Amino acid sequence: MREIKKVAVLGANGAMGSRSGGIFAQAGVRCLFFARTKQKAVSGIDNAVDQARSDVLRNYIVPKTYDELESEVSGCDWIFEALGEDQSLKQRYYERLDGALKRGTIVSTVSSSLSIEKLVEARSDDFRSHFMGIHFFNPPGKLPANEVIYHPDNTETLKEFTARFCRDRLYRINVEAHNRPGFAGNRIGFCFLNEAVRYAEKYGVGVVDYLLGPYTGRALPPLATIDLVGLDVYKAIVDYIYANTDDERHDVFAIPPYAELMKEKGLLGRKGKTGSGFYQKDEDGGRMVLSPRTLSYGRPDEIEAGFIEDAKRLLHDGEYTKAVDLIKKERSEEGGIVRHFILGYVAYSYARIGEVTPSAYGIHGIDKVMAYGFSWLPPSGWVDLLGGPKETLRMMKKEGIEIPKSLEAQKEDARCLIHDIPKYLIAR
Amino acid sequence: MVRRTFILGGYQTDFARNWTKEGKGIMAMIREVLDGGFSKTGIDPGDIDSVHVGNFAGELYAMQAHLGAFVCNYHPALRGLPTSRHEAACASSSIAALMARTEIEAGTYDLSLVMGVELMKSVDSKTGGSYLGTAAWYEKECAGVEFPFPKLFDRLYDVYDKKYGVNYEHLARISAVNYDNAKRNPNAQTRGWYMNLQHACSSGSYNRVIGKRLRASDCSQVTDGAVAIFLASEEYTRGYAKRTGKKLEDIPYIQGWGHRTAPILFDEKEKEAIANEYPLPHTRGAVTDAYRRAGITGAGELSCIETHDCFSITEYAAIEHFGLADPGEAYRRIDDGTIEIGGSCPVNPSGGLIGCGHPVGATGARQLLDAYLQVSGNAGAYQVEGAKRAAVLNIGGSATTNVVHIIGRGE
Repeated sequence: MREIKKVAVLGANGAMGSRSGGIFAQAGVRCLFFARTKQKAVSGIDNAVDQARSDVLRNYIVPKTYDELESEVSGCDWIFEALGEDQSLKQRYYERLDGALKRGTIVSTVSSSLSIEKLVEARSDDFRSHFMGIHFFNPPGKLPANEVIYHPDNTETLKEFTARFCRDRLYRINVEAHNRPGFAGNRIGFCFLNEAVRYAEKYGVGVVDYLLGPYTGRALPPLATIDLVGLDVYKAIVDYIYANTDDERHDVFAIPPYAELMKEKGLLGRKGKTGSGFYQKDEDGGRMVLSPRTLSYGRPDEIEAGFIEDAKRLLHDGEYTKAVDLIKKERSEEGGIVRHFILGYVAYSYARIGEVTPSAYGIHGIDKVMAYGFSWLPPSGWVDLLGGPKETLRMMKKEGIEIPKSLEAQKEDARCLIHDIPKYLIAR
Repeated sequence: MVRRTFILGGYQTDFARNWTKEGKGIMAMIREVLDGGFSKTGIDPGDIDSVHVGNFAGELYAMQAHLGAFVCNYHPALRGLPTSRHEAACASSSIAALMARTEIEAGTYDLSLVMGVELMKSVDSKTGGSYLGTAAWYEKECAGVEFPFPKLFDRLYDVYDKKYGVNYEHLARISAVNYDNAKRNPNAQTRGWYMNLQHACSSGSYNRVIGKRLRASDCSQVTDGAVAIFLASEEYTRGYAKRTGKKLEDIPYIQGWGHRTAPILFDEKEKEAIANEYPLPHTRGAVTDAYRRAGITGAGELSCIETHDCFSITEYAAIEHFGLADPGEAYRRIDDGTIEIGGSCPVNPSGGLIGCGHPVGATGARQLLDAYLQVSGNAGAYQVEGAKRAAVLNIGGSATTNVVHIIGRGE
């Protein structure tokens, strides 16, 4: 009977590594937090403690450096790799691990886009057959989704064990995803985000974030989300998806030149050295907005669209269908843009069923990732609010959006299975 | 013979939500809970005869009173109905349920909507803590006191400790069990939080001492939430059962109730606590009234309990006042696992106020809904196997207003 008593976390000083490792420690599993220096490993422990809001976690986590990697991992039951999103870096560490591990040790990567199979091509049979993607979302203390991407060599017993462990001990909401670039969540979410980056070139950062703000079913507007993720991480994922996929929205994944320049200039968002990205704070803490044309910052324009403000007022009072009706009926260019993004998100999600998640789950697998991993109103929740599959398809046709066959096949009385959909509609 | 009052189910909002962060007001919460209640039960709004709303301090937290009338804004079929708002601090929606049951028992009405609603995260914790002080004698006990309620219940802890001795670890275990149960409840506020016995026993910046000895882990939560339940006469229930393919004997009804009020000043309660075998004699009185009305002899005939646990010491007291243990011996039921899911009489399988959350004016209705879910076998992952009869204790203020309901099924 397999037991998970000790876990090694690689990249434990990073946000994902420390917080994901903390989730294991919260389950009472002993953890070794590996980083380049002890000091960095300790800072990872501080992150895990802060996420759990309990010093008790310190009893479960020991800081380690990579100098001790080979000697320490032989006593571990699971290696949770959370290194940077760099295939060769990960592969170098896997090479070090292979041979040092006891047979049957689970090795997982928290990679959010890289090919699970390619990552371990050169590894031993035992390593490969116990390797998989376990993709938590940041911060895992708040976002319980877990994309599980199995390697073809995994046994059914191992799959069952890890899924059960993640569900019952780590309190994760598992979503089986296929080994496709960006898996399910980032493939769909970053398509939406990158289209927002592209639209910002024409309409401006402030306008795009205003039009696609929290009232459209997300905690943060898209460009503010990228500032939080970090443009470097964001770009690595989008570029990888662009290079390795070819679907009906392939062009949307191309990063526009101004965003490439942002990266070159170090405008990476909140985590970057400058703290600047699509937004910047002035000396008094006021918000400044990037101009994609000049890459300089200025005061945000006063933007207000009547239908959006009215929709927010309706959301405030819980009139969700009426709020969505305003979006549906708005005739201005702004209304068209909002519909284009919402319907595009829904269409792209339905079109990915079977490709990024097993067909047997229907839209529910993708719904789970978007709700519990992104905190976005899930695609089938939108279909419900828009008036059902037929009405959504009618709107897609009118807006010139490619029709996903799986939505055409959706029964009219099908409903979103995610609990409590209205909470994703934020009246801001 | 007293006419029976049935519970036809209801709906609870997700207590983990922060409605102010969502930019939503109290009407959104009312609308959602009514949407959920009507759709979950299949009841037609046009069937409702009367409306009773429990709310503690809408005037303070949301600058909004007169909440009964909000229900009429929800649906045209509800316009013109008799509505009222009830306030008895944390017991507000239990009072609403008592009133609805009285109407049905009297034969005045056949179907009442009982709703509890409270928006609390609209203010910072210190301001909210001060607002809660209005559930005690504010001028004498709370004015100028930071977080007055933990301090009042710390006095109950003192009284208990002096009278019988209390080992803190038993209080910590009550919290740990409640948090653990909450992980099974999809609407519990703390379902994603980290908590266990070790953490509850720790103290420091992540588990601050809030009162004199009580720590953050001993306290119920500041919660936004609403609950709607439907109380019905036997006649209406017979028709409802037929319509929904249920058997009348499977639909839970109110078998007994108790309602007693202690003097509001804690000094007076303290004198009573010292003088009585049961430190909270009015709580005990409400329990025994409910047992008598239900025709049962005591806790041995209960499948589970949903009790008020505004603080861990409150649940500790409740274990004894329900008669699960003799006065001073609640620790025995904690040690032998009686109160855990799987024990002989689980207490707060929902997570209670500590784990599930405590939107003050909605808590009584939430407890009744959970008792309904248990007895009808619909509590999902926190179902107590084979539950046939559940007891509910809802307390307002510093053990001032005490309301007990016994919910069971069968002829």
